[in-house]
Amino acid sequence: MLIRCLVFIVSIAFAASIAAPAQEPTQPKLTPRIITATKQVTLFMGLERQMLQAVQKKDKTSLQAMLGDDFTIEMPNADPLDGEDWLDSVTAKDFNLKSFVIRQMSVADLGESAIVKYERIQESTYQGKPDGGEFFVVDLWKKNGDAWKLANRYVAKVSSAPSIPKPIKPTGKQ
Amino acid sequence: MTASQGKMKFVLVMLFVFLAANFLMAQKVREGSTPAGQRAVPNGDGSASLLPDDGTGNAAPTGQAVVTGNGINYNGGPVLKGSPVPVYIIWYGNWNGTGSNTAATVSLLEGFLASTSLGGSSYEAINTTYGDTTGNVSGHLNFVQAVFDTGSQGTRLRNSKISAAISAQLTAGHLPTDPNGVYIFATSSDVKESGFCTQFCGFHTHQTLNGADIKWAFIGNTDQCPSGCEIQATGPNSPSTGVGGADGMANVITHETEETITDPDLNAWFDSSGQEDADKCNFKFGPTQTAANGARFNQTFGGHNWMIQMEWENSRGGGCDQTLGGPFFTN
Repeated sequence: MLIRCLVFIVSIAFAASIAAPAQEPTQPKLTPRIITATKQVTLFMGLERQMLQAVQKKDKTSLQAMLGDDFTIEMPNADPLDGEDWLDSVTAKDFNLKSFVIRQMSVADLGESAIVKYERIQESTYQGKPDGGEFFVVDLWKKNGDAWKLANRYVAKVSSAPSIPKPIKPTGKQ
Repeated sequence: MTASQGKMKFVLVMLFVFLAANFLMAQKVREGSTPAGQRAVPNGDGSASLLPDDGTGNAAPTGQAVVTGNGINYNGGPVLKGSPVPVYIIWYGNWNGTGSNTAATVSLLEGFLASTSLGGSSYEAINTTYGDTTGNVSGHLNFVQAVFDTGSQGTRLRNSKISAAISAQLTAGHLPTDPNGVYIFATSSDVKESGFCTQFCGFHTHQTLNGADIKWAFIGNTDQCPSGCEIQATGPNSPSTGVGGADGMANVITHETEETITDPDLNAWFDSSGQEDADKCNFKFGPTQTAANGARFNQTFGGHNWMIQMEWENSRGGGCDQTLGGPFFTN
């Protein structure tokens, strides 16, 4: 009986060993390279940074000005938040965005709208406890006259461990 | 030992082997990283990535050639100091086609990189404000040699395929294996490279190929996405209206060659947000004039007008300018 049980376990383990790698899509190695950003990446990198800097300063007015009227933010396993609720949450006293890095940005330019995808690594605290991590963000920006307004955001946390690249500081010896 | 004990031992050993194999095979390469043993390198879009620390990332310079305090930092790595820095081109795809995928573009861009054109210009001289502990960049480059590859790796590329295509040229001896040169991998507009046009218009990197540390740059034909990678659809050298690929590529080539020379191993010159010298002036052109065909241009050398972005000068406090010592402009 014990042997049958072990054979069963071995069979399951064998099946899992074959299935496990197949469950992950191919993930190419991140190539060390330095890009010439497209015009759109340059533009939206600036806008996204502007927003995050406004969050750091808890500058609700500036943030409000960058949001479309029907802005919503969606996350996995959560109800959508509208613009007002989101503004309240990111400018709340409890939340403190210490630093951030945006990377791997790509932009699909659709004329009057643009889909912007990127990774954001942030160091932040909520109610005094570490709340940072690595996030994958998909933003829908819409053109409103000459300005771009953020219409919709989907954001998912990829990992809880923030790994912000440390900026190079001139030492004075250089 | 009884037969049943022997079977059980065998089964237990097999269980261990399968479980071990399971855990090993289920491992996934993690993107991102932990800070220990890693270093930040710029991506060129103002962001940075973490890479294995090879020990050169934060070395402090000791020589007299390094000048800082001008909005860009020296991070300890070497620069390319050839006088001139040799440039090699691999023309990949169909360069006997239509639009800007033509022999005229090939000829124009090879001439653009000559020592009598960009290679000896006062624009290129801006690069002389960068150096390493053993000397400064010469401010000269020169096109040396080109080869054609009509598509050995197909028309849907990724980095490993580009490496393979360049490596093949080196190992076959069609191009010299030169660790002090810059290799440009230029693709025609029918060739797709993932990320081209949505993330980038070009990029540069380095890797060991044919036993040497080879610095290479990818430059796609910008006619694949004029709205993303061209400042104007019709350039000063366009063969016809709306065919601005050659001029768009000239601009990106300028960007990538400047950066490959001042940051060849991704550990020399970039600022605290990860921007290299040309990134700091990306799509900033300064004052322009209008050519006969209505296109704008801001440089004239080698018998042609050009519309190329400014470069960050590492002196006088730092700024984007069109010529060494010229006025700084913000756009």
